[in-house]
Amino acid sequence: MEYDENGVSIVPAELKKEIFEEARKDFRYEEYVRGCLNCGVCTGGCPPHRFFDFSPRIVLQKMKSKDPELIWTMMDEYVWACFQCFTCAMICPFLNSPGGVIAILREIAVRRGFESAKKVLKPYSRVLLKLTAYGNQLSPDMIQPDFFPDWGPHIGYASTDLAVKRKAIPMPTLQVTNLAWDVAPETMKELYDIFDEAGVFKIIEAVDPSLYEIIQDIVDDVRSS
Amino acid sequence: MAIEISNRLGLANVKSDYIHTAGRKLEDIHERLLELEAKGEVKVIHVKDENKPIEAETLLGWKKKIPTNKLWHHKSCGQCGNIPGYPVSLLWFMNQMGLEYVDERNQTSCTAWNYHGSGTSNPVGLAAVAVRNWHRAYELGLFPLFHCATTFGDYKEMRNLLVENKELRDEVRRIMQKIGRDLVIPEYIVHYSEWVHVMRFEIAKLKKYDLSSVIATVHPACHTYKMIPEDCIYDKDIYAGKRTAVSTGVMLALGAQVADYSTWYDCCGFGFRHILTEREASRSFVMDRKIRPMVREAHSDVCITQDTGCTTTLDKNQWIGKAMGYTEQVPVMADVMFAALACGADVFKIVQLQWHTTDWRPLCDKIGIDWKKSEEEYNAYLEELKAGGKTVNLYEYPKS
Repeated sequence: MEYDENGVSIVPAELKKEIFEEARKDFRYEEYVRGCLNCGVCTGGCPPHRFFDFSPRIVLQKMKSKDPELIWTMMDEYVWACFQCFTCAMICPFLNSPGGVIAILREIAVRRGFESAKKVLKPYSRVLLKLTAYGNQLSPDMIQPDFFPDWGPHIGYASTDLAVKRKAIPMPTLQVTNLAWDVAPETMKELYDIFDEAGVFKIIEAVDPSLYEIIQDIVDDVRSS
Repeated sequence: MAIEISNRLGLANVKSDYIHTAGRKLEDIHERLLELEAKGEVKVIHVKDENKPIEAETLLGWKKKIPTNKLWHHKSCGQCGNIPGYPVSLLWFMNQMGLEYVDERNQTSCTAWNYHGSGTSNPVGLAAVAVRNWHRAYELGLFPLFHCATTFGDYKEMRNLLVENKELRDEVRRIMQKIGRDLVIPEYIVHYSEWVHVMRFEIAKLKKYDLSSVIATVHPACHTYKMIPEDCIYDKDIYAGKRTAVSTGVMLALGAQVADYSTWYDCCGFGFRHILTEREASRSFVMDRKIRPMVREAHSDVCITQDTGCTTTLDKNQWIGKAMGYTEQVPVMADVMFAALACGADVFKIVQLQWHTTDWRPLCDKIGIDWKKSEEEYNAYLEELKAGGKTVNLYEYPKS
């Protein structure tokens, strides 16, 4: 993607139209985008609205405008502010789901490998690796003081003698340090097949090609074991 | 100037099988699921008598059968990785009550934390993962019990999408055939907090301590009651039926005081992506919108949660708040962990509060729990294990 001198992406109108059409063709779109009173209840209850330039009312209004230019303005950092809590969906009098719209737009952003998506998700790659390569998302050995210094000095508890502390947990599935629970290799293989068939690996390749290569090495090892 | 009417027909001539009120579907998806089963379109994991179900009511007054026995534990990434006392407390209760269950290695993550954080999946991927795990419970003859609220919310959504969309069903069926499985859907999507809720009077029978002086504030999880809100338990005797009853119900049954606070409706600040990569947003939200109101308005002794991400976010982010003058602190734990403490479960070996960041010792002191003795025994146990001792487990999973 090209950028002008102000760092604003130069995008042909045709691509912007394609993005909107892609969102509108999603089978969830009609469920998520209904009437909008422009009442702002969603924004009043929206948690990230308190800290970010983000408003679910604007998300809905832009989608309702059907103007590809306006929708395009949300595709960079804007969509990544949402907490995905679905407070907006619950309190909307018309049962719109701005959070659901955000999910559709994020899917498009990563599927198309937008630079903004790559940038936002770069620090997230460790989690993505764990989940896609091993079958669960958060392992005990990820909770390290250097990664979570703001969680206080007690966080070091989890990084010392971790193996024996995990062994002391009276659930055998949890007595590992590199996974949240011990996932059987056959189970991982099923997950890989699902990711292959559903196009999930392709999405990761689009948004982080080097991470994709690391994941594929692990996948190949597990599949051949 | 000509005005373009681009939506001349719009939805006006679109037919629906549903009746709506204020846009909300009135038909229970459960009935639609049974219709699909009758047509041979899907297999259904039914709640049977052997599951010893207890009935509850959801938001719109529909009945929901909560199975209490012969359960397949669908674990949570964040609980198992970071809050191990969460699932252990649940299994401990099931052992106390002599209930049957399976906890095993043959389970994947629901992958929904990742989806809501990164967008790196799609409905087919999410639904296929859901059906894969549902089918594992089905082939064991068990009913799946979901530990994580995001799993609960995601699986409720996936069940609805699968019931409503033939194309999605066909695609997921194709993938299931590839991995040697079938398209199965549970009759009900059941969260562990619903199990705790319907078992609350049985749990209360095990109570060891007087909790009447304990003031609790409840943080209901967004993905429990805001995702597919019609499929969440409400009870006319709890909050007059105006808020979800889970978690609060067990606290009341145990005899604790449940105090109100103005921001009960707010999320915890987890944000899925933010808790890992934009934590200043999460921690600001925790202190401003949750912990400070809980302490200042309610004088809360404990914050009770019903989900993985909320427990982590609310517990871990209080320490850093001190740097900005936020002196309010309150220990955070899930309903089932607090209930286990109240029923005499070991603080360290079962409830595993040692992994928590915000100080929980004053709460134990207030209840009258001897946590120091528990800590000494736990440390001695760790030494035994270091010397090659064997773990005392609640359960042994099948090796095959």
